Amino acid sequence: MASNRDWTWFYRLGSPRWFYETTGRWLPWLWTLTLLLLTTGLVWGLGYAPQDAKQGNSFRIIYLHVPVSFLALAGYYLMAIAGAIGLIWKMKLSYMVMKSAAPIGAALTFLALFTGAVWGKPTWGTYWVWDARITSMLILLFLYLGVLALQYAFHSQESGNKASAILALVGTVNIPIIYKSVDWWYTLHQPATIKLTSAPSMHIDMFQPLLMMIIALYCFYALALILFTRAEILQRERKAAWVCELALQADKDSAGEAEE
Amino acid sequence: MSNIGFTAYLKRDLLLSYRRLGEAASPLMFFLLVSILIPLGVSPDPERLAELAPGMMWVMALLATLLSTEGLFATDHQDGSLEQMLIAPQLLALPVLGKVTAHWLVTGLPLTMVSPLIGLMLSLPPVAMVPMMASLAVGTACLSLIGAVGAALTVSLRKGGLLLSILVIPLYIPVIIFGSAAVQTAVDGFNWLGPLAILAAMLCAAIALCPLAIAGALRLVSSN
Amino acid sequence: MKFQFDSFQQMIEMAGHGPYVWTAVLVSLLVMGWLLVRPLQLHRANLKSIARQLRREQRRRGAGEEKQ
Repeated sequence: MASNRDWTWFYRLGSPRWFYETTGRWLPWLWTLTLLLLTTGLVWGLGYAPQDAKQGNSFRIIYLHVPVSFLALAGYYLMAIAGAIGLIWKMKLSYMVMKSAAPIGAALTFLALFTGAVWGKPTWGTYWVWDARITSMLILLFLYLGVLALQYAFHSQESGNKASAILALVGTVNIPIIYKSVDWWYTLHQPATIKLTSAPSMHIDMFQPLLMMIIALYCFYALALILFTRAEILQRERKAAWVCELALQADKDSAGEAEE
Repeated sequence: MSNIGFTAYLKRDLLLSYRRLGEAASPLMFFLLVSILIPLGVSPDPERLAELAPGMMWVMALLATLLSTEGLFATDHQDGSLEQMLIAPQLLALPVLGKVTAHWLVTGLPLTMVSPLIGLMLSLPPVAMVPMMASLAVGTACLSLIGAVGAALTVSLRKGGLLLSILVIPLYIPVIIFGSAAVQTAVDGFNWLGPLAILAAMLCAAIALCPLAIAGALRLVSSN
Repeated sequence: MKFQFDSFQQMIEMAGHGPYVWTAVLVSLLVMGWLLVRPLQLHRANLKSIARQLRREQRRRGAGEEKQ
């Protein structure tokens, strides 16, 4: 019977200590994997993939722009889901993940906009153009900044978490609406000369490094999220015995190093 | 289910606004004053104004609504009546809807009524007058609802005003896109009922969903 | 799959698109690097501050016991 099933695994997931210790074991592998994939993907894309017939070498920016944009959007959903789990199950760890996801997502959205702008100059002659995707990205950036601002505006950690979670959820409902609206708005006003390059028929030689970069960015995101969450765990659980032990141990280690 | 909570708070807020008529009228004043800035800042040329008018009027209406949203729950929070609302036995969504409706009646509706006058000053083509009023009526109701979510989230913060703008403007964007599109479509001679229908759909969704978010935000913030 | 450029110099220049591509790459690497370095900084700083606070409390407790 379902009610007899053991749900302790779910609640164990909510333990900050379990998270800290388990991710601590994964980290070396995650670091290696991320750096390996990133370097390989970049070198492949920048040096070995063929250049685009129309855009020439500036097309290589796609190997950064597209993966970063994916993660920027996916990261928002992850943040919102973490917030929802925190609200529903009152899991502290979930709130910590949500809080960590915000700056990462905001930075990646900024990168998406920046790489897009830099790509735009040689391609369309201008750094900025109000097309549907870029405008939606800009709005996404403001949604992220809103969640960040709300998080730090409250004195009580608890209230800040809940408020951010609610805002993230409201934003999630809105993202498809915003995207569709902006898309529709753009088709109304589309200037005849500028057409956003998508690359629907990409040659396989160009697509493979892109795929690798996307996977690399997912690993990178996981790594950054875990690192930020671990730091947050220490901050919030500082009264816990295991954290105190950890801190004293680290203190002894660094004191030992200083003596040498 | 009785709607006592709804009508009670609607009447209460209307009465309170009536007693502070100056405050209640400030979004309207803002709307009127800013419409003077546009010809002065851009150009008084009727043709250029006519091009800009639909969008500019919508932007001004949005800003005017945003200004007044800040005070939606603030006074209640300060004098403790927000707590009363929270511990009352009825569904929190009812008083919330009552308050937001009162807010719309005091800000959105006057804006809609005044818009033909502003349209005249900004050389809005006559064919766009009715679409402008219709889109403003429906759109400002959406703006009130969405803004109330932001107001509820920031009610206990001191410098809540600026934060409110940051939170709420991204959420306002679909409303302004379709609102000004309704007017622009009319100016271009096409059927403007399409964008208006989408606006109305947004309003229905907002009426259904926003009170939940507002209630959630009010509860968590007041248990601070 | 072959290397697309005849020399390293050519890779830097990228037929005139060099500044754009390399700016994008550099800024991306900088931001991504910061996203990895910052949490490590926070982590270390947190451990240090917790340790400092514990030592202070130990001293205070020790002093309290002495007074008694």
